[in-house]
Amino acid sequence: MTDSPPGRTRQKTTHQDGDRLLASTARAAWMPMAATATASAASAAATLALPAVLAAAVTSALSGRGVHAAAWQLGLVLAAGTVADLTGTLAGAASTASAITSLRLRLTGHILSLGATATRRLPAGELANRLVSNTSVVASTPVSLLRTAVGLITSAGGVVALLLVDWQAGLAFLIGVPIAMIVIRRLVTRLSGLFDRYQAAQGRLAARLTDTLAGIRTVQASGSAGREIARVLAPLPDLSAAGHALWRAQARGVWRISLIRPLVEVAVLAVAGLGVADGRLEPGQLLAVAGYTLLGLSFIDHVDALMDFSRARSAGRRVSEVFALPVPAPGTRPLPDGPGALSLRGVTVLDDQGEPLLDRLDLDLPAGTLTALVGRSGAGKSTLALLSGRLIDPDRGDVLLDGQCLRETDPAALRDAVAYAFERPALLGGTLAGAIAYGLPAAGRDDVQAAARAAHVDDVVRRLPRGYDTPAADALLSGGELQRLGLARALVRDARLTVLDDATSGLDAVTEAQVTRTLTVDMRGRTRFVVAHRATTAARADLVVWLDRGRIRAQGTHRDLWRDPAYRALFATATAPATEATLATAAVATVPASLEEEPCPPRP
Amino acid sequence: MSAPPLTRPVPGAAPAAPAFRLLLTLLRPRRRHLTIALVWSLVEGLPAMVSGLLIGAAMDHGLLAANPAAGLGWLGLLGVAMIVKAAATQLMFPHLAAVIEPLRDDLITAVVTATVTRAATAHTPPDTAAVTRLTAQVETVRDLLSALLRSTRQLGISLIAALVGLLLLSPIAAAVVAVPVAVALLVFARLLRALVTRQRALVLTAETLTAQVTPILAGTRDVAACGAYQQAGATVREAVTAQSAATTALARAGTGRRLVVALGAHLPLLILLLTAHSLVQDGRLTTGEVVGAMTYVATGLEPAMRALTGVAGGWGVALAVTLRRLSETTAPAETTTIPAVTPSARPTTATPVGYRLQAEGLGFAYAAGAAPVVCDLTFTVEPGEHLVVAGPSGIGKSTLSLLLTGLRPPTAGRVRLGGVPLDDLPAAELRSLVALIPQEAYVFTGTLRENLAYLSGTDAGDACLLAAAQAVGADGLVERLGGLDATIDVPASLSAGERQLIVLARVHASPARVVVLDEATCHLDPAAEHRAETAFATRERTTLIVIAHRISSARRAGRVLLMDGAAVLLGTHADLVARSALYADLVGHWDDQG
Repeated sequence: MTDSPPGRTRQKTTHQDGDRLLASTARAAWMPMAATATASAASAAATLALPAVLAAAVTSALSGRGVHAAAWQLGLVLAAGTVADLTGTLAGAASTASAITSLRLRLTGHILSLGATATRRLPAGELANRLVSNTSVVASTPVSLLRTAVGLITSAGGVVALLLVDWQAGLAFLIGVPIAMIVIRRLVTRLSGLFDRYQAAQGRLAARLTDTLAGIRTVQASGSAGREIARVLAPLPDLSAAGHALWRAQARGVWRISLIRPLVEVAVLAVAGLGVADGRLEPGQLLAVAGYTLLGLSFIDHVDALMDFSRARSAGRRVSEVFALPVPAPGTRPLPDGPGALSLRGVTVLDDQGEPLLDRLDLDLPAGTLTALVGRSGAGKSTLALLSGRLIDPDRGDVLLDGQCLRETDPAALRDAVAYAFERPALLGGTLAGAIAYGLPAAGRDDVQAAARAAHVDDVVRRLPRGYDTPAADALLSGGELQRLGLARALVRDARLTVLDDATSGLDAVTEAQVTRTLTVDMRGRTRFVVAHRATTAARADLVVWLDRGRIRAQGTHRDLWRDPAYRALFATATAPATEATLATAAVATVPASLEEEPCPPRP
Repeated sequence: MSAPPLTRPVPGAAPAAPAFRLLLTLLRPRRRHLTIALVWSLVEGLPAMVSGLLIGAAMDHGLLAANPAAGLGWLGLLGVAMIVKAAATQLMFPHLAAVIEPLRDDLITAVVTATVTRAATAHTPPDTAAVTRLTAQVETVRDLLSALLRSTRQLGISLIAALVGLLLLSPIAAAVVAVPVAVALLVFARLLRALVTRQRALVLTAETLTAQVTPILAGTRDVAACGAYQQAGATVREAVTAQSAATTALARAGTGRRLVVALGAHLPLLILLLTAHSLVQDGRLTTGEVVGAMTYVATGLEPAMRALTGVAGGWGVALAVTLRRLSETTAPAETTTIPAVTPSARPTTATPVGYRLQAEGLGFAYAAGAAPVVCDLTFTVEPGEHLVVAGPSGIGKSTLSLLLTGLRPPTAGRVRLGGVPLDDLPAAELRSLVALIPQEAYVFTGTLRENLAYLSGTDAGDACLLAAAQAVGADGLVERLGGLDATIDVPASLSAGERQLIVLARVHASPARVVVLDEATCHLDPAAEHRAETAFATRERTTLIVIAHRISSARRAGRVLLMDGAAVLLGTHADLVARSALYADLVGHWDDQG
């Protein structure tokens, strides 16, 4: 028994895991964080000292006594504030940048180690969102929390200082604050509802645009770009209406906020002014009162930042979810030389709900032969293909290559021994040449071209504007062309076991026959494991393994299995009646083995 | 609502200012509301302008003159000024809305128009990820511009208000303050340029990061299968560190903003302080005026400088960079090596006689050096004929379909329809005479009627649409969905075959005389495919060209065009079986497929 399936682990990830991630991010960047904290504290102290120092300086300037000393003091406080702010900004940026970098790299490493399980658990778009945007929220949270905390402390310090300068003015301030709080809360609640409406309209518009781009070939052929534009823009009036509603709500709310802040200011100034008239306060101290009032009110600016914290927690949880997916432990033993015999012993794989995808499977692929794996969709064929090169681990049982358990085998040795081609390969590595040689930096252009020729895709590539140097993302490739590039990527590796997971389904008949010849003739002697949907592929295999609901239903040659009507039904078109096509399939499939030798007559 | 074109070329304009030009184009139609909003913004600046004056007066004429009531009166005036400011804020909002909302509408219209037009004239796959980026960018412009307009007061007006107030209070104090402020503003203008450059670098590295990371994350299986952990990790590492470096560089440049505040607000405070005593002694300033001047600098000028550097150096810079990215997107597509599909520049009066389709020495290659996809092809398809194009995949059958329908200009030779070269036909007429159905069926959110009448417009009645559906075998589907009024909310919820049936019915109902099916029936079963093809073959006055998916299509055709790289053969099915080993081979293997 090994790792529990990650699907169930995911549900256990809670806000606490997210918070732990936030905390560990802060700890990891503790040095720049400490510098940021020190600088912020210094800046806060300077900010708090400034109104008092300024008031004292004005008082002494008016009296003419100790002007220079007061000016020095003021200059020192201002300079200290400036230096602290600069240091804080730089240290904060450095801290956030290093936290983002290390978090992203750690997450990338984790996702890459998950291999094929990563996208089985979370869609690629979700992974990208977590890697690019959630990490950035998580990593910048410690510094922004620190800033918010310092800001709130400074604001509170302002209130205390105000009370110290003149408790009556401070009292006037404290009466105004609760009113401001209530107004702000009401505004925020109302706006969030309106934002949902606005974003829904935006989503509809984007969805329509995506639709149109997906069908752009029809739009080109119909010359209907103009009408498409109008169709995409149809939700625009809704968007506009929601936008105007937002403005109206803001106008009502902001008016109150913008009134409360200055009225508190005037009230405090009036109380302090009376204090000056009474002689309780120096004229210069009015400046201190005004300054501390502003500082005290600055808490309003930090309310948003506190609300952002809930966003940061959920981002933290989403990132921890990915970290919670268990990574298979890499093996350490080198792979002994061998012909590429694959064996499965009591292999069970469970899905997210704990239902078996493969159920106690025992299987031996004879070395040096072509084995076809057939079965209805959902029978577990792809899962079995992924197991064969340890792209996933079984929940129970062992997979052995030339007698050695894949779990114990060094990953690099394993990759040299097992090559894969898929139904829909992802072409990575930049150019088409880079895509074929992906993960094999030693492969030269000659190797790449030879593999492309073997996969019958060389001529396709050479017709492209920049040939092998065409960026993979710019090449308009059909499904069949993509599959043949994926095949070339497998062939260039010259591995002892080659696994083809439905890797020729998009090819037309002639090309498939050519590719099949590469598999049956050129690769003779290597172990080949092919997931097949077509009778012709199964007919050319040395051994056919018939998988049904996670169990092996039968194995043998295609000709023997063909006697079973249920086996024949696997290759019939689901919706088609017995047409010429299916009848022809039956006819060809029973053709004697001579076809295996020469599947494709020479071209004229 | 018709929005002004945002991509109007301005002759002789500096290439460095596309963002500014776009902003002007967007704001120009909204001049009136913009002006009113700015006037209210001026009113909003009132308290900043009079605060020092009123506090000085409250001191000199009230609180220090043993007349607290008068002092409170002056402070009361300050309260009134602040109420006026709050009222101005509220009155400003409708005008801001009248600027921002239509501006956003224009921007979205321009972005959608440019994206769709570009995609419709390009020959590379459209970048669907750009949709998300574009909507985010439009929203960023809306947010930043409204924030900027709302804080215009802080941006310049409170700075000016504080200086004007200072001038009214004491010209000498104003002179002392004005010089460092002017120097600070000059330094800030220089700084802005560096900030824009670095902000742009940051945006670009962020885009690169997403572009690099997404395919790798989508292909973790492939990375594992290729053992390419190192290579994939290195790709991500490069993009991640580049983005972090850009972030740090921007933050470093950003510290300049804080220095500008020190220069423009803190320095004047010190100068004022050092000169205050002698100015008071000379009788050129009163005590109240000193406190008032210090109030202006400490609570008016300093926050204004902070806001200016923060708002212009943060939001303003971000806005400039986003606008520039958008103006790059909404600009007309650049001419690539392959000329885009454009209507002919020549004024055309040519009318096709009949609809015979002729290919004359037709050739196509992606680039001058690249191997040609189609080479020196000459043949004629008579009106009403049924031709099938066969050949291995990747041989150029789809390219041929694009050339025959005029969607891609050939690099050699030409195609005539009814004797007229496709170039000389008005684009609208060509597109309505010739229909191409690609493999990916385009069904959009809307009613079934809208989807079926897509090519026939309003002239096609329901009876005509239903007849077309019946002909191609989509009648059962129409019935199942609930008739022509049924709404298709999520096109992807239909199966690929069902979507192909809808598109086939759509073209059957259209006025097209030449119909090209490019594997348009590949998701139908053979019987359904037979019915759909027969519907077009027996349609009146229709030339049918089928890019074959199954060999059964070729058996039904009058003639077959066989493509095999350099060689092209044209003949009947039986003819080709006898003449071409490749064709015989194709027929043999094709029959294998279910």
